[in-house]
Parts: sequence; structure tokens; C-alpha cells
Amino acid sequence: MSTAGTARTAPGPGRVPGALWPYLLIAPTVLGTAYLLAYPLVRNLVISFQTYGMGELIRGGAPFAGLANYREILADPVFWEVVRRTFWWTAVNVVLIMVLATLVALMLQQLGRRTRLLVMSGLVLAWASPVIATTTVFQWLFSSRLGVVNWLLVRLGFDSYENYSWFADGSATFAVLVLLVVWQSVPFAAITLHAALLTVPAELYESARLDGAGAARIFRSVTLPVLRPLFALVLCLEVIWVFRCFAQIWAISKGGPGDATTTLPVYAYRIAQSLHRYDLGAAASTLTVLLLVGVLVVYFRQMFRQEGEL
Amino acid sequence: MKIRFIAGSAALAAALALSACSSSPGADAGPERLTVWIMKDSVTEDFLGRFTQDFERRHKDIALDIQIQEWDGIGEKVTAALASTDAPDVIEVGNTQVAQYAASGGVKDLTDRTEELSGKDWLPGLAEPGRIDGKQYGIPWYAANRVVLYHKDHFTKAGITTPPATQDAWLADTAKLNKGGIQGIYLPGQNWYTLAGFIWDQGGDLATRSGGEWKGTLDTPEALAGMDFYRRLQALGKGPEDSDEAKPPQAEVFAKGDVAQIISVPGGAKIIEESNPALKGKIGFFPVPGRTSDRPGAVFTGGSDLIVPEASAHQDAAYEVIKALTGDTWQTDMAKTMSYVPNRTSLAGAVAGSESTAAMAAGAAQGRATPNSPQWAAVEATNPIKQYMTAVLTGTDPAKAAKNASDSITRTLGS
Amino acid sequence: MSAAPRSASRRARIRRLPLHAAALLVFVLSVFPVYWMVLTAFKPTRDIQAETPLFLPVSVTLDHFTTAVGADGFWLFWRNSLVITASSVLLALIVALGAAFAVARLRWKGRRGFILMVFIAQVAPWEALLIPMYVIARDTGMLDRLSMLTLIYFMITLPFTIVTLRGFLTAIPVELEEAAQVDGCTRAAAFRRVTLPLLAPGLLATSLFGFITAWNEFAFANMLIIKNQDDRTLPVWLSSFSNVFGTDWGATMAASTLFALPVLVLFLVLQGRVAAGMTSGAVKG
Repeated sequence: MSTAGTARTAPGPGRVPGALWPYLLIAPTVLGTAYLLAYPLVRNLVISFQTYGMGELIRGGAPFAGLANYREILADPVFWEVVRRTFWWTAVNVVLIMVLATLVALMLQQLGRRTRLLVMSGLVLAWASPVIATTTVFQWLFSSRLGVVNWLLVRLGFDSYENYSWFADGSATFAVLVLLVVWQSVPFAAITLHAALLTVPAELYESARLDGAGAARIFRSVTLPVLRPLFALVLCLEVIWVFRCFAQIWAISKGGPGDATTTLPVYAYRIAQSLHRYDLGAAASTLTVLLLVGVLVVYFRQMFRQEGEL
Repeated sequence: MKIRFIAGSAALAAALALSACSSSPGADAGPERLTVWIMKDSVTEDFLGRFTQDFERRHKDIALDIQIQEWDGIGEKVTAALASTDAPDVIEVGNTQVAQYAASGGVKDLTDRTEELSGKDWLPGLAEPGRIDGKQYGIPWYAANRVVLYHKDHFTKAGITTPPATQDAWLADTAKLNKGGIQGIYLPGQNWYTLAGFIWDQGGDLATRSGGEWKGTLDTPEALAGMDFYRRLQALGKGPEDSDEAKPPQAEVFAKGDVAQIISVPGGAKIIEESNPALKGKIGFFPVPGRTSDRPGAVFTGGSDLIVPEASAHQDAAYEVIKALTGDTWQTDMAKTMSYVPNRTSLAGAVAGSESTAAMAAGAAQGRATPNSPQWAAVEATNPIKQYMTAVLTGTDPAKAAKNASDSITRTLGS
Repeated sequence: MSAAPRSASRRARIRRLPLHAAALLVFVLSVFPVYWMVLTAFKPTRDIQAETPLFLPVSVTLDHFTTAVGADGFWLFWRNSLVITASSVLLALIVALGAAFAVARLRWKGRRGFILMVFIAQVAPWEALLIPMYVIARDTGMLDRLSMLTLIYFMITLPFTIVTLRGFLTAIPVELEEAAQVDGCTRAAAFRRVTLPLLAPGLLATSLFGFITAWNEFAFANMLIIKNQDDRTLPVWLSSFSNVFGTDWGATMAASTLFALPVLVLFLVLQGRVAAGMTSGAVKG
């Protein structure tokens, strides 16, 4: 791109030398990040190397514990199960979100103006509804008594769903949570991908069709390449969001029943807040961050390469 | 060092910029404002109103701000309060939870006041959890056992003249009551205090200690028998399998009038009457039946202690509140209005002679407590027992579910 | 003569039938939960508890809203939420605008490092920072202050705001600014007069994201507001509300509706511009 032309120092107002401007502009961001993000992160890291329980939180004076917390977490079979579940949870959700979003985006492209507007506003409505409100609504939809989902299933002939308690069974709760997260996430992904599809010049389709390409072929050789960069971006954002997803799980199941819906963020929160083992919680969350960064290293690298081109 | 400096100045700048939108906690002249945290449904609003009025009349320099707290997530809340620099001044904490706070160092040591508060006569079930290494941190407030509250009209209509005295008779009577639009008993699936009682009746326990190691014991045959009785009883009404007695508040369910029995502390009757005055005089009490008629069922003795946080800015005034709440006047008043057991044996006479107290006293002889480990509060916080109950009530194999729950308890108590 | 085209168009219509069925399905699935929330909020309790659910508003009542609003201090919490959400979003916009400008328009040493920092900040594990943030707030006397919450929400929304705004900014040709400068404007004036108006939809779209995030936040609000109960925010209140009212779904849904209302209204008001902004921002982002 051609922003290089602006690299010359701008005649800034006042007596501030032009070369200082960028640094003044980013100063608030850097300061804010340092105090409100980096500093707490460091404190969290320090806690993870200390013995830090309720007493230490109240009185202060936490003793140094070395790697004991990490050793305890890594030796806990529950932790490894949670890690496995977190990856499973992320994979299921992200795959469903991406597939459905792509389908919806392709569908939007085919629709007439009025129908498209209707579907779009529906998606926007779902997307804009606050998480806490929709989470509550899902609890009501899946409520064991008078819940509309149970009613519908019984109506469709699945009599075993009469007063079925969705939140009593591990896999059922997991399924409801997946449904909720997918429902909340598809609109953003679909609308973004649809926007990307709009940028494909119509002539490209035209010429492909003239070449006698079928729908599948057109999708593979015209649509997909255009979609790819944005697809990657949306994919990464969804991975981050789903992996870190906490509010929905905590509100609906608190990680239960049993451990059936305990993902890493829930696990860390549970250890810290319920057992008052803030040290273990800090270690668990540090490991969570490392895992997530590991997953996203590819994303960062690509982002960085793109930035380099600017 | 440098980071801290930058951080500090950023915070300062931001705080200055934003001070417009934060309400400054007033340090204005006038009476000392005391914040008191009371748990939901501990006492009636009417009782709190009368107490506040009387207290403020006697202490012109103190104004009370009583805040009602929810049980859900209370552990986090109280911890955050104890660790803060300006905590509430008096906090009510459950007797199963007070030990961990007492041990944390965030609670004021009130040992030198015990004599003035007649500490000799305190109920041990409330005083002991509040005491660590001979120092008294938690001051006993009240105790209560669970009894069965019943709707007298429904019993009459079903032809039941004397309340059941054995578990078998109880099942039979409840089945008789559970007809038409009437629920024989409203027993939510996660009322684990009640389950604990049934398990104790069978000779089991929630967890036992051997050689210093705690172990969850929900999977013993005795405990499974207790759960089986719970399941059969729970089926004789429309209590939700996946919820506890607070969601929705069972007193309000009973107040609608189509429920024949609930298991509750006797004070629940006052809450019911407050929300539906038409039920006044129609609520009866009987002890939770045991396996044989010669002995009522074992029950969980619940209750609360009062604590003053170290971080309270008004500790002397806070002590005045505790002194008043645990003094003769208000203990007697509370025992009468709420049908609670007063915090000391010397006041037992205050509640003698009422039907509810008779039921409670009979049960109190069989009163039991949760496993005496400081980690028990952590078990309650994630509560695998509740999940276990829901699992069994919705058709999971009890033995398998019990094993899972026991393992979870063992892990938590051992951490 | 007209037979052939008509049958062709009918065939086309039939071929498009699955498409329209799919469109309808997507619409219904995305709207239904929201519809059900609002519908339940307006239904009399008798209808809510009907064995066969009613899918249309047969009779309408405001009882549940009265319960919800009358619960206690509703408007206070509503106002608290609105004030801190609005101020944190505004703060984030102003700060992010500067940073986005520096990144998109200026060339300087350390730029790559700065961008990396912003990207990493986007994956910050906020729930893990509850305890450290609590300790920091306590040690600086910021507990029980709405301003501390505002600062945190500002930081939660900031990285995303920068990334999106940068996307919008790069989409606006820099030549426009340069032309204005040639006409004698200072750089700042050129930015204000030329770029800022073009950026407006982007700013709106971005602020909406921030608004939703901050409006929803629960964990920090629950942990950092302890004694000043009048300073609680709406999500905290809503969570205690669903505890208090348990399975009184009418009141709970009324409360949820009232909670969702500001965001939905904002969305409706901004819809046209936001859609435009989202499209261009997303594509360039």
C-alpha cells in the first residue's frame, strides 16, 4: 500500500517536533496496557510462584513456593482431562461456527434484496443481544418444566423428553452450551464472510461460468481464494473467543454436572474462587494463556507478516 | 520500580479524569454509618425493621445500613469483603463456613468479649466453628433444625389425623396427599441438608476421616439407602430435580397453597405467612420422621455466627450491633418470631411451649453437623452432592453417580 | 408464445425453493430466542405455565415488568451500567483513534512492536486477572469505585477498538487528506475535516462492539463492588434477580428484555451506518 508517502514528518501544531507525534499518540494506549494489563499479568505470574490462599489475600506476605503450584497442577489428572475437553470444546464449536457461517454467507449472496435484508436483520438481532440476557433465555428454552424445547421434542414424538432435565446430564449440558455459543457466534462470522464475498468482482463469476465451470468448481477456484484471508481472520477470532468462553458456561452450568463442561477458564476460576487457592488458579491461568498463544502462533505470524507489508 | 511509577501515574491521571462518574463514599458528619450483611431469609424484614429502629433509637450516633445477601456465590463475596480496606462492619456467616474465615486472619478476635456475651452457655455447634486456637472470632447468633411444615387443611382433607412418625408411614401419607392439584410434598432435587439427614438415619455419612485423610462416603450402602428414600419421597410432588430449596424460594411455592408439606426450618412459616397472610394458623409442624417411631430422624443443625472484619472501620460500633443482636431482648424476640433456637442454652425457656419449637426440640436431639474440616466450605461451593442428587433423580445409576461425587469430595477435602 | 418463459420462471422459482426455505430457517432460528424472551415477558403467568406453549401474544400484561423494575433500585443499576459503559467506550474510542492514526498513517520506530502488543492484548485472559486486579485496586484505594470498573472496561475494549479503527482508517485513501493539506490545512485540520467524517460509520460500529462487551461484563463488577451496593451494575443485579425469582420466568425474561433493550435500540438507530461500517471495516480488517 502507499502509506509510505506520509512518512515525512508532518508539520504538527504547537512546538512538538514531528518525530514525537506517533509516540504521543500511542502513549495512552501503552500506559493503559502497562498498568491495566501487563502489570496485573505480572502480578498473576508472581502469585503462581507463591503460596497464596485466603489468608495471604487478606494479610499479605505470601511466601515463595517455586514451581510447586505448577507441579501440583501438571500432576493433576483432572487438569489434563480439562485440557483435552477444552480442545474438544473449541474444535466442535469453531468447526460448527465456520461451516454454518460460510453456508449462511453463501446463501445470503444468492438471496434477493428483500429476503436478504430480512435474514440479515435476524442475524444482527441475535448477535446484538447481550450474552447474559440470551444465556438466561436459553435456560428458559431448555428448562425441564414448561421449556419450549422439551414441548417441541415431545410433540415430534420423542416422548422421553417429557420434563427432561437438560442440565442434569453432562453431554446434554455440553450440547446446549455448544448450541448457545454457535447461535451467538454465527451471525458475526456470517455477516463478515458475506461482506468479503461482496468484494468478489461479478466478472470473475461471469467468466468462470462462461468457461463452463460448475457451482462446486466456481466455489473452489473463485470464491475460496477471495475468502481465504478473511476466513483465516474470522477463524482465529472465533478460536480465541470460544477457547476463552467463560460467562456462558459459568452462568449455565458452573462447569458441571460433575466436570462435564469444565473448560480451562472455568477450571482456573473454580480453583481460585471456590477453593480459595489463588496460587493454583494463577498457575492454571498462566498455562491457559501459554496454550492459547501456542495455538495462535500461526495467526500472530501471519498478522505480523501482513503488517510488515504495510 | 519504574513500571510501578508509570502505572501509578496512569492510574492517577485516569482516576482524576474519571472522578466525575464515581460517587464518593461520604465521610460527611452525622451518624456513623454501619454496614451489616444479613443472609437472605435469615430473619423477616419486619424483624430487621424493628431491630434497626430500636437500635438507632438507643445509639443516636450510629445509622444502620442492612444489606441482604444471596447464598449463591457468598464465599467469594465475603472473601472479597474481608480482604478489602473498607469492609462491611458486621457479617452473618453460616456455621459450616465460619471456620475458614476465622482461620484466614481477616476477622477480629473477640475473645475478650465472650464473657460479656455469656459465652459459657453458647451452643457448641455454633461456638466451636467460630473458635480457632482458643480465640473466639465468630459470635453465635442462632441455630435451627429442619422440621416438616405441613398445610393443616390438606392433611384434614386427606383424613390424616396424626402426623407420621416413621419413614414408611410418611411415604404412605404423602402418597395419599399427592392427589388432584395438590403436591404431597414439595422437595426440590438438591436439598442436600435433607439428604444428609436420611443418610445419617441409615448409619452413613457424607465423608469420614481415617488416619487424618478425609474421604467422601456417598457410595456406601448406607448412604445409597438414604438417597433411595429421598428419591421415593421426592417423586410424591413436583419439586424440580435440578434445583435447590432457594430456587425458587420454597416458602413462596408453599405460599401458593397447593403444597401439603415442605422440609424447612420452622422460621420458614413466618416467611410463608408474610407472603400469603391467608395461611396464618394453617401451618403445622412435625419432626422429620426416623426409621422407627421411637426416634425422630437425624437432622442437620444449621445456624449462623456473626463476625466483625479486621478491615471494618467501625469495630466498636460493630460490636454494639452484635451485642444487641445476641442480647436477651433480641434473642428472645428472634426465637419467637423466627422459631429459632437461641444462641445459648440459658434462653431455651424463651421458646418453650410452641408447636414449632416442640417439633424442633425433638429433632434437635438428633442434630448433626457437616464433616468438621475447614475445607468443607469448599465442597459446598462447588457442591458435588447437589449434582449427584440430580443425576440419581433423573435416572443415572446411583452407585456410579455416588462414586463420582465421593471422589470429588475426597479430592476437595484433601486439597 | 408466453408458455415457455412462464414455465422457465416457475422452474426457477421451484429451484429457488430450498434456498428460501433455508433463508426462512436461518431467520427463525436466529430470531426465535429473542422473540421468546420478549413474548414471555409480556405473557400473563397463566399463559407462561400453559401446557401447550402459546407462540403468539394472545393477552398482554405489564405485570412482569412491574415486578422487575420494582424489585429494588433497578433504575439506579441501569444508570450505573449506562454511565460506566458509555464512558469506557468513549475513552477507548479517543485513545484508540490516536493509536490507530499513528499506526495507519505514520511511520516510526517501534511500530511493529506496538502492533504486536495490541494483537497480543486481544487474547488477554481477563477472568484470570480477577485476583491481581482486585489486589491492585485495593492497594490503590480503588475498590468499590465505578471508576475502577470504567478503567477495566476501557482496557478490555481498547485492543479490539484499535485493530478495527486501523482497518477503517487504511480503507480511507490518504490522498484525500493530502489534498486538503495542499489546500493549506494543517495535518490535524485535514484529519478532522476530511477523514473523521468518513470514519464516522467505523467509529459507530466499533463503539457498538465495545458497548456490548462492557454492558455484559459481570465478573469484575461482582468482585470489585463490595460494600457500595448502590454502585452495582445491571449484570450483577440481573444475576441476583434470577436467583431471587428463580423460576418466575416472566419476571426474569422481563428483566432480560430490559437489559437487552439499550443495546438493541442502539443497534436499530445505528443499523444502516453500522452495516456499512462493518462491511468495509471487516473487509479491510
